[in-house]
Amino acid sequence: MADVRFHPTGLALEVRGLKVTLGDTPVLRGVDLHVPRGQIVALIGPNGSGKTTLLRCLLGLQQPSEGEVRIFGQKVTPDVLRRVGYVPQRLALDRSFVLSVREFLSLRLEQTRHWFWQLRSTLDRHLRAALPEYDLEPLLDRPVAGLSGGQLQRVLVAFSLLGKPEMLLLDEPTAGVDSPGEQSFYELISTIHRRHQMSVILVSHDLSMVFRHASRVYALNGVICCEGTPEEVMNADSLKQAYGIHVTPYHHDHGPGHHHWVNIQP
Amino acid sequence: MLTEPYMQRALLIAMLLGPLCGFLGVFVTARRMAFFSDTVAHSALAGVAMGLALGWDPSWPMLGVSLIVALLILWLKEKTELLTDTIMALLMSGFMAAGVVGFSLLKGFRAELHRYLFGDILSVGPAEVWLALGIFVVVNLVLFTQLSALTLLTVQEDLAHVSGLSVRGLNFAFVILLTLVVAISIRLLGIILVTSLLVIPPATARNLASNLRQEILLSLLVGVVGGVGGVLFSYQFDLPCGPTIVLTCVALFLISLAFDQIRRALQRPVQS
Repeated sequence: MADVRFHPTGLALEVRGLKVTLGDTPVLRGVDLHVPRGQIVALIGPNGSGKTTLLRCLLGLQQPSEGEVRIFGQKVTPDVLRRVGYVPQRLALDRSFVLSVREFLSLRLEQTRHWFWQLRSTLDRHLRAALPEYDLEPLLDRPVAGLSGGQLQRVLVAFSLLGKPEMLLLDEPTAGVDSPGEQSFYELISTIHRRHQMSVILVSHDLSMVFRHASRVYALNGVICCEGTPEEVMNADSLKQAYGIHVTPYHHDHGPGHHHWVNIQP
Repeated sequence: MLTEPYMQRALLIAMLLGPLCGFLGVFVTARRMAFFSDTVAHSALAGVAMGLALGWDPSWPMLGVSLIVALLILWLKEKTELLTDTIMALLMSGFMAAGVVGFSLLKGFRAELHRYLFGDILSVGPAEVWLALGIFVVVNLVLFTQLSALTLLTVQEDLAHVSGLSVRGLNFAFVILLTLVVAISIRLLGIILVTSLLVIPPATARNLASNLRQEILLSLLVGVVGGVGGVLFSYQFDLPCGPTIVLTCVALFLISLAFDQIRRALQRPVQS
């Protein structure tokens, strides 16, 4: 297969020599990243490895001191960001702000932009038409601030899909989600990926998730320490570079082939 | 009582500013900006003292100083490592102290000081009614046309940014609108109590609402009923107007709280 690095149009994301210094601390020390289109890739790294800073650079929220980010071959501008769906880890939403899921989703859709003046049935009709494969009916009346972690992630993905993105960027999507919720969430992401041939970038420190769902993995610790298929990256030597620790797989009772990864030695 | 021009003006101001504060308050409280409005209001005292010293109508310098303080908060937040609370406390105490010193140097303005600290809606003139009407129209126009953007900004700024909104521009516009409303509402409730009209109506609405549309509408309603009811009660029982408006709003909040508690109790499954 041809190396996509030499075909810029085939790249969903391209990061070159990215350096970010916060205060006196160099957080990113020259990150190079080439993510092909249409794949589910994972960006992993321990706490403090610069995942959040890199994510902020990808979203145009943090200016790098050196280097550049290109999404679909273009610099990060509001126009390019319209092609990106961002799913944050959580919302810093006051529980007493009683925004319902219906109202929240209506914020993203052009036809329901004037949700305050529109009938509930009109909003539901537009939302159903925009998300035909998504069963959100039971959640529409619920306040966003009262959703469980798993429910919130599904709603946030639905919100992103309403913008018809070509790339989904998920930040620690299953942090605080229970195990069955995590499983069904990744099944949802896989379905979306298959159906829309969308590029999906998962930022996570959850290694078991990476092994099961990503087709390619990038391990970050200030720089990209290693990249490749999950099997290639998940050998102890590669991860030792990224995490500075030994990691080993163990079998769990999810059945054969389902590995979990644990840190065994600091 | 309604034939008296000063009562007509007072009721008109209450009908304009009560719902406006209620509407804006939904976002002020959700964005944890109540202390911001307190800072702007307290700092306005320096503007009042300046206006009186120069022999001007204090409304304009009060508005000017409020806007300067709001912009200073934004600028210091961006340019320094100081916590927002620290910046606001610093500016509030500094400008309020300047106002108090200014008043101490002026002779014969004790009544004016009292009027601005605790509000005196019955003394507003036609010019202030027009100013309140102008602010009412402008702020409502911006709030309703930018409602989706403001809501998304309240949900999460990063999400708003990725959705194509100018987070910086929206934050700036919101702060300017809030400052205008706080400054003009000082004549209604006074520097000390003005924030209550931004906090109590949305708190009351939250006890009853199950979505944001209901919360906004109920908060508007509580703002109108609290404002107009307070003016009428104060006239009827010869009470100070600003505190009576606040107490009317508090009474509405307590009723909503009781209603919410009863509803929750009825919804709780009965234990056998």
